[in-house]
Amino acid sequence: MKRRIAIAAVLVVLVAAGAVFAEVCLSPYVKRLAGPEKFLYISAVDADGRDNDFLAVVDVSLPSPTYGRVVNTLSLGSAGNEPHHMGWSDDRTKIWVGTLLSKKLFIVDVAADPSRPTIVKTIEDISAVTGLHGPHTYYALPGRMLLTFLSSADGNPPGGMAEFTNDGELVRVIKNPADSPYAYDVAVKPDVNRMITSSFTPLRNYRKPLPQWDMKDGGNTLLVWDFKERKVIQTLTTDPVPLEVRWSVRPGKAHGWTNSALGDSIWFFAQGKDGKFATKKVADLGKGCLPADLRQSPDDRYLYVSCFMKSEIQAWDVSTPDRPRLHDTVVAGVSPNMMHVTGDGKRMYVTNSLLSTMDYSEKFWVRLVHIGPDGRLKVDPFFDVDFTKFPSGAARAHDMLLN
Amino acid sequence: MDRRQLGALAAALLVGAAPAAWGHQPSPAASPGGRLTTAPSLAVIRPAPDFALPDVAGADVKLSGLRGSIVLLSFIYTSCTAACPLLTQRMAVLQGRLTEARLLPGEVTLLSVTVDPERDSAAVLARYAQAFTASPRGWRFLRSEPDRLGPVLARYDEWTKRLPNGDIDHPARLYLIDRAGRIREIYSLGLFDERQAFLDIQALLREPR
Repeated sequence: MKRRIAIAAVLVVLVAAGAVFAEVCLSPYVKRLAGPEKFLYISAVDADGRDNDFLAVVDVSLPSPTYGRVVNTLSLGSAGNEPHHMGWSDDRTKIWVGTLLSKKLFIVDVAADPSRPTIVKTIEDISAVTGLHGPHTYYALPGRMLLTFLSSADGNPPGGMAEFTNDGELVRVIKNPADSPYAYDVAVKPDVNRMITSSFTPLRNYRKPLPQWDMKDGGNTLLVWDFKERKVIQTLTTDPVPLEVRWSVRPGKAHGWTNSALGDSIWFFAQGKDGKFATKKVADLGKGCLPADLRQSPDDRYLYVSCFMKSEIQAWDVSTPDRPRLHDTVVAGVSPNMMHVTGDGKRMYVTNSLLSTMDYSEKFWVRLVHIGPDGRLKVDPFFDVDFTKFPSGAARAHDMLLN
Repeated sequence: MDRRQLGALAAALLVGAAPAAWGHQPSPAASPGGRLTTAPSLAVIRPAPDFALPDVAGADVKLSGLRGSIVLLSFIYTSCTAACPLLTQRMAVLQGRLTEARLLPGEVTLLSVTVDPERDSAAVLARYAQAFTASPRGWRFLRSEPDRLGPVLARYDEWTKRLPNGDIDHPARLYLIDRAGRIREIYSLGLFDERQAFLDIQALLREPR
């Protein structure tokens, strides 16, 4: 009876809490949006590297007269930084934006006026602070931000992670182990106390034009960490360059997926009954896909893959998690890259710049793909934000956050 | 039934369930699947900003006056219909475990600060504390007028925003503070696991004084 009372209480609390919009690509510690998105923030690299990089604000509030337009830009104050990924603070008041070719890191306030972000702190030399270079993933922890870094301060492996307070003070640095020195993404599954990190390539490689890259200078491992202990407990192997780490969103489930960029594949990772994790290749994305991003639907049913080289977005049905089935494909434009699925799972915003050293199209844009109740994808013919016509010229649109 | 009534019902149900939850449970240990750990890595995050706020009996509680004991600090409000009642119920379970382990009162102090002093009078807060069977010495509920409370909330980055339905939006965090007055862990209200918090407290207690 007591157990029933407790369950009833939890249900009452959940009902009382009302609907929230869970963007499953975000850290579970980030506050959820209480309604549909109004603004889309986009990290933008000046395409020819001569003008200042910036953060673009696109109005995505459907009733707004400026819907689908860039309504503001926030200059990052200099050129050639390659602002790349971004992340919300846990209370969703600030955005952290880092750079891959310079050493800057910006903390941007969007609480005072969501349409007019302002820089509240700039760390000019993040390498001097951390001994690392190339902040990549910004993963909110309660009151803190966990960052992955692609390289050490000299641009070589090992990469690692650094943890900061929300106001940008360093808490600790954790370097990758010598036998698995490459770093990229991180994702935490708090209810199973596990964290997984993935592996890309360091600055010494990615700063060169793509044809000059050493394709062997990259990782093929996932590291499984005891999250509370911040300790590596297992090294898993995949095809080369596993990028995004996506845990199943179901409570208590200790499995997920990653996209191998050079293997053109999806890999499944899962914890067995003995507590140990194992990986296996579960989907072949087609030769030459170069899966640059991997996203999920909020109901844990679909994975979305952007094939950067094949200019296609694929939806995979993962109702059976270790047996994905190709469900649909759509062409949003040339070289789709980052995707951002809304909390209700009905819309997906898409950009098409990966990295200035890797881009092969000069037509940069942000587009919208609608996701039907049947999981089918359809490009919105009216939503097309042109990123080639800023006063400073074209800009490479990369990562996105919604507010 | 409006949201406030739902919240009150939830709190009442949770209170009803809470004693059973902490009655005869063994102290948590590391779980086979690794979901709990006895060896957490609790880095020094920053010094805990000091404050002095009155409890429901009007006695000032000064954080720095609690040096030498471990403090778990939460920010709540009693009419909250979202995460707060669940959190307070979990803190009640934690209080039970700490009491059984003879760590509370004494080695550990729980503090709950209301972010809604307008509606949470001392009497309202005292009733809330009583409903969760808070130990008067081990789990203190604190409240003060906005002019005195505001700077404390600001130092913990605990902004508040009143919503049209009367709820208060605020960062959902709890702070674990060591015997030297340093923040060593920050928990999310929604993902707070009192079993791991108990193990974190034990880990801090093992550290040399």
